[in-house]
Formats: sequence, structure tokens, C-alpha cells
Amino acid sequence: MTEKVKKALAALCSAEYKQQRIDNGEFDMTDELMKLPKRLRRLPMMEAMLQAETPMFLEEDIFGFHRRNKQTVSYVDLDGRRLRSNGGNLTPNYARVIGMGFDGVLEIINERLQIFRTEDSQIEFLETMKKYVDAVFEICERYRIAARQTGRTRLAEALERIPHKPAESFYEACLFFQIIVYTLRCASYNHVTLGRFDQYMYPYYQKDVARGASREELLETLELFFISLNADGDLYIGMQQGDNGQSMMLGGYDKDGNSMYNELTFLCMDAAEELTLIDPKINLRVNKTTPDEIYEYGTRLTKQGLGFPQYCNDDIAIPYLRSIGYDEDDAYDYTVAACWEYIVPNCAVDVPNRATMNFPYVVNNAIRSSLPTAKSFDEVLAAAKEEIAKESQRLRQKYSPTERSDLLKLSYGYLSIFVDGCLEKGLDLSQGGAKYYNYGCHGAGIATAADALEAVRTVIFEGKSITPDELLAALDADFKGYEVLQNRLLSCAKMGNNVDTVDAIAGELMETFAASMNHKPNDRYGGVWRAGTGSAMEYISSARVCPATADGRHAGEAYGCSFSPAITTRLDGPLSVIQSFTKFDLTKICNGGPLTLEVHDTVFRNAEGEKKVAQLVKAFIHLGGHQLQINSINRDRLLDAQEHPEKYPNLIVRVWGWSGYFCELDREYQDHVIRRTEFRV
Amino acid sequence: MQKGRIFSIEEFSTYDGPGIRTTVFLKGCPLRCTWCHNPEGQRTEAELVRSPNGCLSCGACLAEGARKTGTPCLVRESVEVCPRRLIRVCGEELSSEGLIARLEKNIRILNMSGGGITFSGGEPLTQAAFVTECMHLLRGKTHRALQTCGYASEETFARVLSECDFVLYDLKLIDDARHKQYTGVSNALILQNYRRLAASRVPFITRIPLIPTVNDTEENIRATAALMKECGVRSVELLPYNKMAGGKYLMLGREYEPHFDGSVAPCARLEIFAEYGIEGRIL
Repeated sequence: MTEKVKKALAALCSAEYKQQRIDNGEFDMTDELMKLPKRLRRLPMMEAMLQAETPMFLEEDIFGFHRRNKQTVSYVDLDGRRLRSNGGNLTPNYARVIGMGFDGVLEIINERLQIFRTEDSQIEFLETMKKYVDAVFEICERYRIAARQTGRTRLAEALERIPHKPAESFYEACLFFQIIVYTLRCASYNHVTLGRFDQYMYPYYQKDVARGASREELLETLELFFISLNADGDLYIGMQQGDNGQSMMLGGYDKDGNSMYNELTFLCMDAAEELTLIDPKINLRVNKTTPDEIYEYGTRLTKQGLGFPQYCNDDIAIPYLRSIGYDEDDAYDYTVAACWEYIVPNCAVDVPNRATMNFPYVVNNAIRSSLPTAKSFDEVLAAAKEEIAKESQRLRQKYSPTERSDLLKLSYGYLSIFVDGCLEKGLDLSQGGAKYYNYGCHGAGIATAADALEAVRTVIFEGKSITPDELLAALDADFKGYEVLQNRLLSCAKMGNNVDTVDAIAGELMETFAASMNHKPNDRYGGVWRAGTGSAMEYISSARVCPATADGRHAGEAYGCSFSPAITTRLDGPLSVIQSFTKFDLTKICNGGPLTLEVHDTVFRNAEGEKKVAQLVKAFIHLGGHQLQINSINRDRLLDAQEHPEKYPNLIVRVWGWSGYFCELDREYQDHVIRRTEFRV
Repeated sequence: MQKGRIFSIEEFSTYDGPGIRTTVFLKGCPLRCTWCHNPEGQRTEAELVRSPNGCLSCGACLAEGARKTGTPCLVRESVEVCPRRLIRVCGEELSSEGLIARLEKNIRILNMSGGGITFSGGEPLTQAAFVTECMHLLRGKTHRALQTCGYASEETFARVLSECDFVLYDLKLIDDARHKQYTGVSNALILQNYRRLAASRVPFITRIPLIPTVNDTEENIRATAALMKECGVRSVELLPYNKMAGGKYLMLGREYEPHFDGSVAPCARLEIFAEYGIEGRIL
């Protein structure tokens, strides 16, 4: 790490720069905005935000473009809701704009204006896009002057050209990137993901190398850029602090099977390892041919306690995306949304987290209604599958767009510049300008659902040691007074311990879910639904509404995170877990949603332990796993951090699909991470 | 078919031999090392263990004991009444075939990484016939390792060794009086078997649990290094004393009395090993 980077990092960690921020309340513009039709509200929101901004630099900052105002513009609509953010959770086409400059964007707009001469809505859209570009130019010009005045010559010189002209160097490309991220965030887009950074930035990297730039020089630029990505991360609030969407995808394989790993891939990993910051949250695309060195490289980051990389399996994700209808080139270019939903960059406006199948809740209802009359376990299982199919249909109807849906009415505005097809068609993202409009449906708590059915099978139909009435009464009482019965339910086989009976039940539930969700139209510009294995915060929120379940889980008790064992399961170990969770053909259910493994940090004491963790990841991929995230955890440290948060400002954990600072999480998310370690770490 | 008693099967044990391994912990040990961090492995008979994490302090387990015996305590029936399933019987008895059937589910993954199965304890040599049979059943299927303190008769050791692909051998103290003081037994058999191992064709690694003030003295390290040199051994792995060891005694309802100051950091003295041409590695 160079002195410059050290200083910049120290300044970031001290957070003193946050004192320069302005507390601007709600930044309310209700009066002005409510006079406008919905489709025209975005532009004045972004213009006002950028006008309120003034240049701000951190120590050793070579990029600038950090938020001065804490809050972006908002307004209250007729229903009394405060609206601010809208859209996001997609990967913009950074490369295209960085490669042609905003002057190039304007050229396209002007060209299209000629073509659409008589079509009012297209003209209105394109003219609006020009105004967005003007607003970007205006803030950039103010930054250029400020950079000059504060002696930041390199930045000032770069801003003579950027963002009008295409980037010519790696530094300029990073600066351009920073401008795009900053302006998108000022326009209130949430979860703006970073995509396949090592691919589209590689030409700039190569250019610099050809010019004789040293690796150290490039690493310094990259590290300062990563620091810059972290500076405003706390303002990009998702569901929790840290859930800011800055996921980055590295590596992967092209359709001829060639490795896409390059020098920049490893430079990114080196930078992340040295900086140990939560952003960018690195993902690695791997497959059956991935050499051990890549897994070992990735494990070095895991060892740092960063909670990433998250591994994504090309062998599973790509066939799934192809089966859903993505073109070959697009499927091979996949990345992830803010967490783990597999999305296609540049041309898709998928909403991969549109709905959630609450598996335990649905299965619990089926158990309760079928049990009094069921003559065999098959009848209960059939009832559960029927309920899942029905719930799938209900979710699709509920969450497909209707006349009332804001998704159709509010324009996406500025973001349309970064999605292929919008400028060409003269159509906003919300109006069908993009190529894909698919919806994803999460599947929360699959392990709890399968465990509940397995318990019913074991104690009621196989052992006949508990009657249906007793079980239902125990569930009604949330096991109060039925502790012995609860103990027996908890003692049944659980998903995660490589027991075929319960794993097969999970497989049947997923099969039904996939069959009743995948490919079904969503009535949104030809989009379809996709079924997945993830739960964002639903492993807490959906679980909260779910009563006691037959696996022995209390009412309201959290599920396992995404595609993971229930937190009440005493696990045999990670080898059993990875086998349990790879028995089903995951190419059928691959909207995204990883298995999370918790590994004790002492495993990483030496290089040998690191290699073994790498081998574990490799085994999971070879078994056909689709996605994996690993937490290197020390339970005692987490408990101590709850008591003495001041001692652990930089303690990072993986939450549901992103890495966050432990002490900044709400208590229930902290507790969940700790409970995950009860039986296993 | 032999029967054996185990207290745990640990998947993905990372310090018990090459590659990804599953370690089988056999119950019963003739030694009573005062620093032992697997006290549940000492006694041959089954015991009740209560893990403290997540305990609701509801008292159901002790009430069950009171019902049975008149005083609040853990009894076999407590296992079934804990609503969090935190109490378990430690020391399951099972047949060699039963154990192998369980282990076989992971063999594919173990072999993928060049790993295998390790028999540890307790002291696996106390169940030598069982261990030998298990290892025999695994012959040709996966890599088989033995983690041992070497306390067994020469014949017993030789018999088990004939089925081993790899041995992890503990040396604790060279001075016999001190060995008796801290482990309860003489080290004569241990040193004799160590020499035998060194003369065999089975690859092995020597391990020393480094216990502060007990065996990290210059005198003991020098004596150990001399023995190793005499046996032609060129490397050693040192395991610094684990301060967390005490927790498990509580789970067993026993008291932890290490008889030494556990807060002192043990001294590795790698330079002494180096003097004898031995490369030391701290785990």
C-alpha cells in the first residue's frame, strides 16, 4: 500500500469528512413536483439535487464527486407516501458511456431526434435525456474549477475532457465511473451495481500497461477508486446499513469455455484484500474448469473476514438464464444484482426481487389443513405442493403490473441513458426501452419447510409416536407445555445433514415452485417470472409472520438465510451441508440465493487451512451448487462486539447477500449471525 | 464385527492431516493430561454433555433429574426434555460397518481434495481392534490417518500401524517423572512406539502440544529434538496451548484444574529445533 493510499484510507476510516456533509432534511419538493405529470418528475428532482451539491474532496482524493447533501429530493404523493428512490438493482452500461463520452450520448440523441421528428412522446423523452446530460456537465464543470483551485491538477486536467469525451486511460475511466455512480445516486437510484468491472475496464488497463504504467501505479489508482466507492456508501441505504448494492462481478468464462480472468481481476482482489472495506462486494464467476489457484485467491479475501467473495457457478447460472429466454451472449455476460440475483447487465430491467415465496408459511398451512384427514404422508406432501402452486399463482397475480402500478407510470429517467435500447427506441426504461423485463421470485426458508414435512413424516406416519391432534395442539400453543414433543421434532432429520429423505422433500417443493413460476408471463413488455432460492431480509421478516412449524421452530423465529439450513439445526458439518444443498438440479431454480457457510476464523491460521477452505468451495461447485458465500466468524468476538461495539468499528460480516459492518446492523440481524454459529462454529 | 464408542465425528477438520478430512473421535484415554482440551474423550463410558450456547435456563433438564434421583441433576432422560436440544449423550456405541456407512457419504469430497479420514480421540489405540477393523474396511477407499499419543503395547501399535497411511504422533514430555506428573502415565511405551514408527514405512508427523512452563522448557525441547534427530525426523508441528480448553469441562459438569499458568504464552523455541536440523511449524 502506498503512502497516498494509506492516507486516503485513514481519512475514510476516521469519517471526519462526513462533517462536511449538509443535513438537508427531507429535501422536499412536493409543491413543485405534484404540479407535474409523473413521467416528468424525475428531471427536476435530479437537477435540484445536483444544483444543491458543491464540490467536496477527501484526503488524497483524485476523483471527487462525493455527496455534500445527506438526502436526495423527495415528495409526498396523493396517497401520502413519501417518494424518493425508484428503480435500480440493475447493472448500467458503464462501458458504453465511458467509451463514447456524454458528447457521444448527445450525438445519438440528436440522431434519434431527427428520426423521431413527428413522434411527440419520443421527442419529449429524448429532449429530457439531453437535460440530464446538461445537468451532469454543469456539476462536472464546477468540480473542474474546484479541482484547479485546490491544486488537484491531475483531476482538473482529466475533467477538461471527461465526461464529454471518451476515457483514454485507466484513471480517466475510473473517474468517469465515479461520475456515473455519483450522478445516478444523486438521482435516487438504489442499489446501482458495479457489474463485470474487470471485463469492461480491462481495455483501459491494457492501454496504460502498453504506455508503460507499472502495476504499483495501477494498483494505487484502483485502491483510491475503491476507497472513493466507500466514501458515500453509508448514504446509499438499503434495508440495512451496508446493503448498498455495490456488488462487483469478476472472472467467468465465455461461451467457448475460455477463462475471462485477467490481470485486472487479480488487481481488484489484491486491492480488496489490502483495503478490507465492505465495497466493492466481490463476486467470482467459477465453473468446473476453474483452477485451484482462483479458489485460493478468493479464500484470501474470505480470510480477511470480508464475507466475500461470493462464488457464482457459470455451469448452473448460464443454462438457467438461457432456459428463461436470455440470448446466449447476454446469458454469458451475467452478473449479480445488489445481492445475488443473477441478472444480465446493460440491457435488462429485471426486478429480480419482486416477490417472495414464504415456503414454511405455505407448507405449514398445508400441513395443518391436510393432517386431520390424511391417510399417508404422500397426501400431506401433495397438499403442500398444491399450496405452493396456488401461492405461486397468487404471487404472480399480485405482483404483476396493473394500472395502478407505479412501476409503469413513473419514468426511470436518467438511468435510461445507461440501458441499451432506450435512446435508440426513444423510450424510457419504464416504457419498454430495454430488452428484458423479467421478475424474480425469492424462495425463503426452504430448509424449514422441508424439515417440517420430514418431521411430520417421521413422528406421525413412520413412528406414529405423536398423533396429528397432539402436533396441531403443540403448534397452536407454540410448544408451550409441549417441550418434550418439540424436542422430538427437533431430533428428526434436517436439511443440511445429507439425509436423503428430507433433501428429497426439499427437492419436490422446489420443483413445484419452479414449475409454477418459471416462464410464466408477467405482462411487462414480454417479461416472465423466474424462481429462486434466495431470501433477502425475508428470512427475518417473512419468518416473523409465520407461526410455529412442525420442525420444532417457534412462531416468529427466523429461518436460515437464503438457501441454508435452519438455524435450529445441529449440523454434522460443512461436507454434509454442501451435499444436502446440491442434490436438486439447480439449473431449474436459479433466480439466485446462495448457501451461506459459517467457518470459524481459526481455520485460516495457516496456508494449509486456507487451501482446505478453497477445496471446500471447489467441491461445492463440482457438486453442482449454484452460489456460495462464506463467513469467517469468531462467535466470541461477535458477542463481545455486541457488548463493546466501540472496540469493533471495522468488524465485517456477511448478512444476507452483502457484507456490512457488524456494529451498524440492527440487533436482530446481529443475533441471526450469532445464532448461525451456535451449533457449527 | 467390532463395536466401538465414539464421542464425535467432525467434518472438515483442518488440522488432522492432508486435504479435507473427517475426524472420528474415539472415546477413552489412558492419559489424563492436565491441559486436555477434549475432556469428553477421557472416560470410556458414555457421558451427558450440555452445551451452554442458546440455553434458555428453563430448568427442564435438572427437573427431570430431580424427578429421577431426588436432586436436580442431568440424567439420561434430560436429553429428551431440553426444548433446544442442547443436551446430548456423548459416547455413542456403534459397529465398524455402521461407522463406515456414515463416513462413506463424504468420501467422494474427501478424495477430491486429497484428504481422507483421521481416527483421533481420546486415544484411538484404546479401541485398537475397532480402529484396525474400520481402517481395514476403508483400505483402498480413502486416505487413513491415525492421531495418537502412542500409549499402547508394542503389538497393539504394530497392528494398527499396519492399516495406517499416515500418523500424527504426539510427544509431550521426555522426562518420565514429569510425564507421569502431568499425564498420569509413564512415557516408556510412548517413546518405544515412536521409535518403531520412525523405523516403519508409514509417513508421519510429530506434534507437540506446547504447554506453558510444562513442556516448553529448554530442557524438554532439547531432549525432544535430540530424540527426533536420533530417529531421523526432520520436522515438527507445535500446537500452542488452547486457552479455551476450560469451557468443555463446564459442559461436562467438571472442574478444570490445569495445574499451570495458562495465561502465559508458550515458548516455541524453534531455534533449538533448528539446531538439531528440525524444521518447526506452529499451528
